[in-house]
Amino acid sequence: MKGTWFAAVRGYVWIKLIGGNPEVFLNAATAHKILLWNIAYSSDGSLTFGVLVPDFFRLRPLIRKSGGKIRILAKRGVPFQLARLSRRKTFAAGMLVFASLLFLLSTFVWQVRIEGETSIAEDQIYRAARAEGLHRFQWSFRIPDSTTLARKLAARLPDASWVGVEKKGTTVVITVVDSTKPELKTAQGPNDLLSVADAVITRVVAESGRPLVERHDRVRKGQVLITGWLGDEERKKAVVSKGKVMGLVWHEMKIVSPLVQHLKTYTGESKQRTYWMIGNRALQISGYGGEPYTESRTGSVIHPWRIGKWPLPFGILEERELEVRTVTEKLSASQAKEAGLRQAKAELLSRCGKDARITSEKILHEQTESGKVVLTVLYEVEQSIGVERPIVLTPAE
Amino acid sequence: MPRVGRKLRKWTAAILDLPQDVALDLPRVTMIGGLQVTVENHRGVLHFSPKTLRLAMDRGVMEVTGDNLVIRNIGAEEVFVEGQIFGVTLHPKGSPSG
Repeated sequence: MKGTWFAAVRGYVWIKLIGGNPEVFLNAATAHKILLWNIAYSSDGSLTFGVLVPDFFRLRPLIRKSGGKIRILAKRGVPFQLARLSRRKTFAAGMLVFASLLFLLSTFVWQVRIEGETSIAEDQIYRAARAEGLHRFQWSFRIPDSTTLARKLAARLPDASWVGVEKKGTTVVITVVDSTKPELKTAQGPNDLLSVADAVITRVVAESGRPLVERHDRVRKGQVLITGWLGDEERKKAVVSKGKVMGLVWHEMKIVSPLVQHLKTYTGESKQRTYWMIGNRALQISGYGGEPYTESRTGSVIHPWRIGKWPLPFGILEERELEVRTVTEKLSASQAKEAGLRQAKAELLSRCGKDARITSEKILHEQTESGKVVLTVLYEVEQSIGVERPIVLTPAE
Repeated sequence: MPRVGRKLRKWTAAILDLPQDVALDLPRVTMIGGLQVTVENHRGVLHFSPKTLRLAMDRGVMEVTGDNLVIRNIGAEEVFVEGQIFGVTLHPKGSPSG
């Protein structure tokens, strides 16, 4: 016996030998290398033993020779269990149905998922997929292969530059990548271009519309520079007027510049404190000893602990206190004036648009009083002066 | 086995200090308490009943006596008996008892 499991797999029987000559039988069995086990006499004087099913059939002629009869007491092992199972038709059918159902259900598409950053509405993608036969509860083999499907989907989604389809078991993942498109320009109605300020025209570039002014013309605020009206009195048409009109504009600025300036500078002294962070609470672990500086500026950096790329709500907070000293600087009148003018120019240029250019500067008035220099300056700035005004078309026109 | 051959084997076994069972084809009996007996090198079953098991040897008969004897396993060379074993008796050639 090579272990009971081996016998169980092959199948074995318990046999009772009645009558005959047991010794002859046993010797014959060993001579034929038939394995018998648990040979014992039962109370009624018959010999019982176990034998493997294949050996059992080889046993029969030996039994006939020894002159006894045999009776099978019990059948054990897998082959008999299988035979019993085959008799239980419903149970076997149930197992078969289960297996086939499992297989059948796994051939369905149970989920269609969309991945990728896209501005295309999910609904639109789902509809495109549905049109190509890809939707929930669809048979897997009724959808074409991924490459073909991706190509067809891409054809249905003109805004997508690339569409990928991947089948992961019962889930189909559609990845959509947007194509980059130029920014949309809102449609413009017909308009005029007006002047924003009193100015002298230096340059007129009209892309569309009819320019009404020329170089060196003096214009007033609100005057039409380029009109959207084309044609004469009888036949006219309003269009979008577009263009660039540059002009010289005068700005008068009042500048107040102090003679004494307070500057804050770092002394280079610093103190470091470290904290343990738990959530939004901090526990100081180093840098005790109060605040040593009369004037200081404090900056802090949080170093959260991470698992991979995810920050944890724990970490270390480093705080650095830097000593600051206020320096008082006395300026001469000319230095104060220069500083004031510099500041004024920067302010003016930021106010007049990016293509503005200061062409001349004229100090009208200059006065030093109570520690300040007060200046009145006239600036001549060449800047874009056009501003759009829509033309309202009434039905009569 | 011829007489001369047997003598030669016996002499060889003695000279080379070989175990006798290997050299002389004698049965080897392993007994575990009064529970199990394994007999190697037997020559067939002569009689089997719940009380006795008689095995043929090369020269003679071996008798295992006991109660509720069960042959756990039997092969061409080896018998493995379980039960309440009282004794193992050897009957040299030509004088089987019972």
